[in-house]
Amino acid sequence: MKLRHILFPFISMIVLLLSGCWDRQEVNDLGLITAAGIDRISDQTIELSVLVYIPKSAGSQQSMNGSSGGGSSQTLVRSATGITIADAMSKLQEKLPRHIFWGHTEVFIFNDQLAKEGLAKQIDFIMRHPQLRERSQLFISNQKAKEVLSLLPPLERDLATVLRELEAMKMGMEVTVKNFAEMLISDSGDTAVPWIKILPPEEGKKKKETIAYIAGTGIFKKDKLVGKIDDSVTRGVLWLRNEIQLATVTVKPSGTNGYVSVSLQKANAKLIPEYGNGKWKIHLKTEAEADIVQNTTQLDMANPVVIKDLHKQLKKVIENKVNLALVQVQKKMKADIFGFGDAFYRKYPGLWKKQKYRWDEIFPNVEVTIDTDIKIRRQGKTSVLSVIVPEEVKEK
Amino acid sequence: MDKSQVQPEKRTGVEQNMIEKGKISGSQMAIMMNPAIFATVLLLVPAITAKHAKQDMWLSPIWASLIGFLAVFLAYKLNKLYPKNTLIEYCEIILGKFLGKMIGAVYLFFYLHITGIVVREYGEFVSGTFLPHTPMLFIFGTMILVCSFAVYGGLEVIGRCSEMIVPVVLLFYLVLFIMLIKDLHIQNIFPMMANGVTPSLVGSIVPQSWFSEYFIIAFFLPYLSDQEKGLKWGMLSVVSVVFFMVLTNFTSLLLFGRLTSVLTYPVMIAARYISIAEFLEHLESIVMAIWVAGTFIKITVFYYTLVLGTAQWLKLSDFRPLVFPFGLLLLTFGAWSANSLQELSHFLSTSGAFYFLSVQIIIPLILLLIALIRIKVQQNKGTVSG
Repeated sequence: MKLRHILFPFISMIVLLLSGCWDRQEVNDLGLITAAGIDRISDQTIELSVLVYIPKSAGSQQSMNGSSGGGSSQTLVRSATGITIADAMSKLQEKLPRHIFWGHTEVFIFNDQLAKEGLAKQIDFIMRHPQLRERSQLFISNQKAKEVLSLLPPLERDLATVLRELEAMKMGMEVTVKNFAEMLISDSGDTAVPWIKILPPEEGKKKKETIAYIAGTGIFKKDKLVGKIDDSVTRGVLWLRNEIQLATVTVKPSGTNGYVSVSLQKANAKLIPEYGNGKWKIHLKTEAEADIVQNTTQLDMANPVVIKDLHKQLKKVIENKVNLALVQVQKKMKADIFGFGDAFYRKYPGLWKKQKYRWDEIFPNVEVTIDTDIKIRRQGKTSVLSVIVPEEVKEK
Repeated sequence: MDKSQVQPEKRTGVEQNMIEKGKISGSQMAIMMNPAIFATVLLLVPAITAKHAKQDMWLSPIWASLIGFLAVFLAYKLNKLYPKNTLIEYCEIILGKFLGKMIGAVYLFFYLHITGIVVREYGEFVSGTFLPHTPMLFIFGTMILVCSFAVYGGLEVIGRCSEMIVPVVLLFYLVLFIMLIKDLHIQNIFPMMANGVTPSLVGSIVPQSWFSEYFIIAFFLPYLSDQEKGLKWGMLSVVSVVFFMVLTNFTSLLLFGRLTSVLTYPVMIAARYISIAEFLEHLESIVMAIWVAGTFIKITVFYYTLVLGTAQWLKLSDFRPLVFPFGLLLLTFGAWSANSLQELSHFLSTSGAFYFLSVQIIIPLILLLIALIRIKVQQNKGTVSG
């Protein structure tokens, strides 16, 4: 019929259109990049090193079922130099028989040198490239990024997995590309990126059979590295940023020789800005719940008086940590990575508009008061020591 | 099959001059209109509104929806006066033959142009994010071909298509947002209205142009099986679009904060950002599915309007012979409507708003006024002579 006459040529045309062969990419033609490192080579050039996932060895490892726990070279690190990342990438492609595929890149490591010059230029590539993910994590390292990438982790498949898993523990700051960009264009404008360090290999192991771990946080003024803080100071920063998740706090209850360790189960922090008489104040209000995980004293943890004293001690420890972070980051490096600026903007938008240009002067002098409310919820399964020790005391 | 048996009988009926014999229900129209407005909004609007409205961007769609309600109201009022005719037909009744044809031609060119723009937006997104090497003409071509089959099927087919597709699309859309909840930061919406209402009002200008597209129901109201409910369903449809737009803007704001305004496709990046238990990741293909299905409805609705309007303008007895030639025309209009996404986005966020509003709000408003005056005059004449 008439309709059929019209439809037939059109339907046969679909065959031509459906193939979509312009963007055909076979998986076995792709070089899946799981991590990338960028080093400064000379004034003009950078070196891009990529960690390429080798599918073959991953498959054979599965069939051998754990016979190789690592050590065999399952990782492939290739590098190329160029003026920008994109430039280096095109040079890198010359040395890689497969198409560079960024879709699975989870980790970016930048050398300190680059971080000092400013990360924003490099981040632009990550934010712009259609394959790259905004959830990729950023790290800085004072060792060469290429060296870090070429490590052969004993437990995990490659370094990208190691770093991602470490970050997932939330022991330090979690900085994704999106977080970094968000911090950079926020009112505070200063950023932070965790820094990593190669863990010295165990004795008897080869030099490369180790991992890199998160040793602390690099503090950036805008996008330029100005200093580093270690992991214990980072804890204080986490409190201020309300990012604290896992933590074990150990305190010495007054009048004893032992220690009590508690692990935080819930923690919440809030910045309350206050402005009056030309004085800028921030009030940090934190709430936390903790469980006792170890007790080396003779104290009975069921006793409310003991718990009350413990609350006081815990409060002191946490406040000390926060103060430590404030001294290092606020007073010394003068970088507002805590989001004080944003807090003021949210509460006093009018004031902020007028005073924003002076924020660099104001920030180091913002007065911070801390109010911690920590409560012990559970004392664990049993408490052996509190039964045994008192009898020893009696015998004496 | 049995439809073809019914049709000849209908042809002899009262509606002899009606080219479209199908009927849709009010709810079908409402469902159809949701992606017809929302499909292109979901990718571009958060970024465009964020530029002006900043943290008040979630308010902008609410202001903009007033235009949507107005457009539905205008279409309904005009339809009440001429219940059996579409816009192209009553233009001639209201303005006389010559002027009516002129305004009709303006509308046809307008719909040709916007359909071209929609086709272009579709192509830009697909090629920009997924198929960078595929010539855009083929991306347009595949979509226009599918749409032309739907248009060929007529209004009933489009109505039923959307009844099937739209609920699934919207459900997926909601699921995306639910999966993002853990990454949202509520403090991003503060300070609320720090600079008064103005930024959110300025931000609402561009969404207004999208909402004004609701006037297109002027072409569907005559074919409703339950015409008296046309207004109610039209308004409900606007409400549904407002809901999804506010949700979209809200989520982009809470997820990206100030970053929203510099992202090209915030919703796309939001979907990529989803990561649940480290295995539910890389969900951007869902956005793609939503986008393709939504744009399919959108292009089909506009394409159908264009073809039907042209057939009525030329007083043809059937619109079907026009479907495929117009498909070819849309292909070229898609290619010509802009040089690049930047240009398109710039057009939509500057002069585009006035263009859309003047064609879809101002002209109908004038039409309605003239029609009301004419009827008044006629009634007066009637009473004088009677």
